Amino acid sequence: MLNCTECESPVSVPADAVEGEIVACDVCSAELEVACLEPLELILAPELSEDWGE
Amino acid sequence: MKDSDAILFLERLIRVPSVSCAEGQAAAFLVEQMDSFGFQTEIDDAGNPVGKIGTSGPRIVLLGHIDTVPGVVSVRREDGKLYGRGAVDAKGPLAAFIAAAVRAADSGNLQAQVEVIGCVEEEVPSSKGARFRVLGAAPDLCINGEPSGWQGVTLGYKGYLRARLQRSLPIEHSAGKASGMGALACRAYVAIEQAAALYNQGREALFDQVFTHLSQIELNSDGLFEHASLDVRLRLPGELGPQVARTWLCDAVPGWEVDCSNGLEAWSSPRTDPVARLLGRAISREGGRPRFIRKTGTSDMNVVGPVWKCPIVAYGPGDSALDHTPDEHIRIDEFLASIRILEGFLTDPNLSSWSAPLHSATRLKRPETR
Repeated sequence: MLNCTECESPVSVPADAVEGEIVACDVCSAELEVACLEPLELILAPELSEDWGE
Repeated sequence: MKDSDAILFLERLIRVPSVSCAEGQAAAFLVEQMDSFGFQTEIDDAGNPVGKIGTSGPRIVLLGHIDTVPGVVSVRREDGKLYGRGAVDAKGPLAAFIAAAVRAADSGNLQAQVEVIGCVEEEVPSSKGARFRVLGAAPDLCINGEPSGWQGVTLGYKGYLRARLQRSLPIEHSAGKASGMGALACRAYVAIEQAAALYNQGREALFDQVFTHLSQIELNSDGLFEHASLDVRLRLPGELGPQVARTWLCDAVPGWEVDCSNGLEAWSSPRTDPVARLLGRAISREGGRPRFIRKTGTSDMNVVGPVWKCPIVAYGPGDSALDHTPDEHIRIDEFLASIRILEGFLTDPNLSSWSAPLHSATRLKRPETR
């Protein structure tokens, strides 16, 4: 169990999570990226990419 | 389905012309092919080719489109690329859906009831195919087949509104002070641009902004009155639905009659959307780094998303910068990678645990947490 980088509330990460996976903080809704699995590390997810098309 | 068979299938599909509103031949070809691959098939009342495969698990719709914009691009393979109209937008993604579903079924590990649809008329405002399918029962999950690149997952598209502005005034002599109807029409569009610039202040993301486009301007006279008509297209953020946007437009151009013929609201899923999450995992397993995107254009996701309200993203091989261009092509290695990723998604055991009726990331039964 890690803490949210924004509000420090506990955030659960699925046991089968992979690097790059996004999890949400249930308290502040921040989107967090699994930056590393060993040791487990969460960072604030980067801004979404934007593109034109369709 | 071997790689070589998947490539040949896509090439043959591209060779069948299917400009919007003339998709019949391609729909028949697709149904014949899906039938031979083991799908249950039909052409529905809108003309959409539909194929179903898999008997258990959540119901997932793979919503592609069979139509293309006009323009002939010589079909050929060169330097590991397959050229042709629709290679990217969007026969590549549609063929990848079908190949992945076949592989998943043949492996015995398909975790869902898959419905592949090749919608007609996606490239024109009618969106006939999607508007017909949206009347049916909502699926549990949906992937819209549009090019995102093999590592990309498109979370959302902006909305749009098409409007015609009209105004008539008595003719005045050109030697007078009146600058004429043409000048008033130009000022009206500038006023719309200024209103958009004001709205966009403080909104840094393109997805959150209003875009304006003047597609046509007409001036004419019957000898007594001058008439002006402007066709304006707005690309809309999520906060500005088509109805509100019409009011916003009327406020920007007082004195003009505003007729809105066609509109769709923006639609976007969170990165924690279960489909995005499982697709992201499948991309990672293939050695890629998932890239989550929001697009300033519009797709059939805008038609079905607000109605079905199920987890939905868009995914497919190809570079959307090549959409509608004379150079339209798809990299064959990217096409094959996307098939492996979609197969990985459709065979992920987490997919079969899908059951609850609400749209929430918690619908997917999560394994133990760490």
